[in-house]
Amino acid sequence: MEYSNPEIPEGINTSKTNPLKELVILTVGVIGAIFAIVSLLIFVVDNFADQIPFEVEQNLPMSSFTEMQGVEPLPPYLAKISQKVINSFNLPEQMHITVHYVNDDVVNAFATLGGHIVLYRGLLEKLKYEDELSMIIAHEVSHIKHRHPILNASHGAVIGLALSFLGASSGNSVVNDLLGTTSMVTLMKYSRENEHLADKDAIDSLVKIYGSAEGAIGLFDVLNSEYSDRGEVEFFNTHPLNKNRTAEAREAINHSRIINSVVRAPIPSEFSRWLKANKIEAKETKKVRID
Amino acid sequence: MADLIILVTLLALGYGFGRYSESTHYASIRKREKTLNAIPAIASRIPPQGNPNFDSQLVSGSVVISVDYFKRFIAGLRNLVGGRMTSYETLLDRARREAILRMKEEADRLGASMVFNLKLETASIHKGRRNKIGSVEVLAYGTALTPN
Repeated sequence: MEYSNPEIPEGINTSKTNPLKELVILTVGVIGAIFAIVSLLIFVVDNFADQIPFEVEQNLPMSSFTEMQGVEPLPPYLAKISQKVINSFNLPEQMHITVHYVNDDVVNAFATLGGHIVLYRGLLEKLKYEDELSMIIAHEVSHIKHRHPILNASHGAVIGLALSFLGASSGNSVVNDLLGTTSMVTLMKYSRENEHLADKDAIDSLVKIYGSAEGAIGLFDVLNSEYSDRGEVEFFNTHPLNKNRTAEAREAINHSRIINSVVRAPIPSEFSRWLKANKIEAKETKKVRID
Repeated sequence: MADLIILVTLLALGYGFGRYSESTHYASIRKREKTLNAIPAIASRIPPQGNPNFDSQLVSGSVVISVDYFKRFIAGLRNLVGGRMTSYETLLDRARREAILRMKEEADRLGASMVFNLKLETASIHKGRRNKIGSVEVLAYGTALTPN
């Protein structure tokens, strides 16, 4: 009996698919599917979270700010301007907004669950005009008006849960990273839309109060000098880039034909002096920026 | 952003080096297969009948090949949607053929004329932290028949 091995024909046990083509198809397909699922989840959650009464939000135990480090009673000037801004919004009756002042170097302000707005001394010190302060408050009031804090918290919970289920079942770190990044980018896109909306509302409020939206541009200039986002990509940010926010504000101003010849009221020098005099020197602790 | 750059760099490195090593490996496999074709490897368990003048010896060859980042990435996505794991097909094809070649090379050193009862075994080794890197081992073994 004769024994022999034939020459093995090539390509029997392997596929001829171009690996790059497969990479593109799979990546685009999977990212597209995750984007669609996350967007759908956001849409569904939005419809449910919207129904949560504002009182429920206000009664959440986390809404207590009195114990937060550096919280001080709201200075009368801030209270006056806040009230002016809140009045310009026509908020529903039960939507009560509380503004807090934090004596801390952080250059930031944020709105959170229960209608609370937190203003940091670090940001207030940088302002020159009253309408810039109003712009900050109006931006945060708009977030609360549109229920953004409760919506964001709901998205975080639902999408986090969905991801942990998917991640546990796939068990592959590369795929988990892709799932996480795509969901994050989708949420960021949603967050940027909210910021645009808040900016737009805030500009409307400025126009209502001052007849000018110059404060918006002034505020974005302050933010730009504080956090330069040069070289950053908007796609990977929760907030629109400052230059885009400025451009949008200018466009809104042009669009509504606002006459910008109003004399802008500066921040009263007594208030600036008060801020300086009551400054708590930064401790050795690391400052964490919160949004 | 930095993560994305790292990912693309790793994919490019995996693709570049993976393709290069695969094509050189295939070239070497084809060349050696031609020379060693004179020693047939037969899967039959029954040795040739009617010719008792053979010495029989166990010969084996094993190889371990690692997955590159690019292949792993594609396979990870494939895991989600299902379908043919094309990126791993060439990997296993290379590993099987290389293991048989190494076994035949040993048989050649012994002066064997053929290898009987060829068997193949596959094991995945070193899965690494969170299944990050995987490699595959293929072992080929059989009975070398050397005319005496």
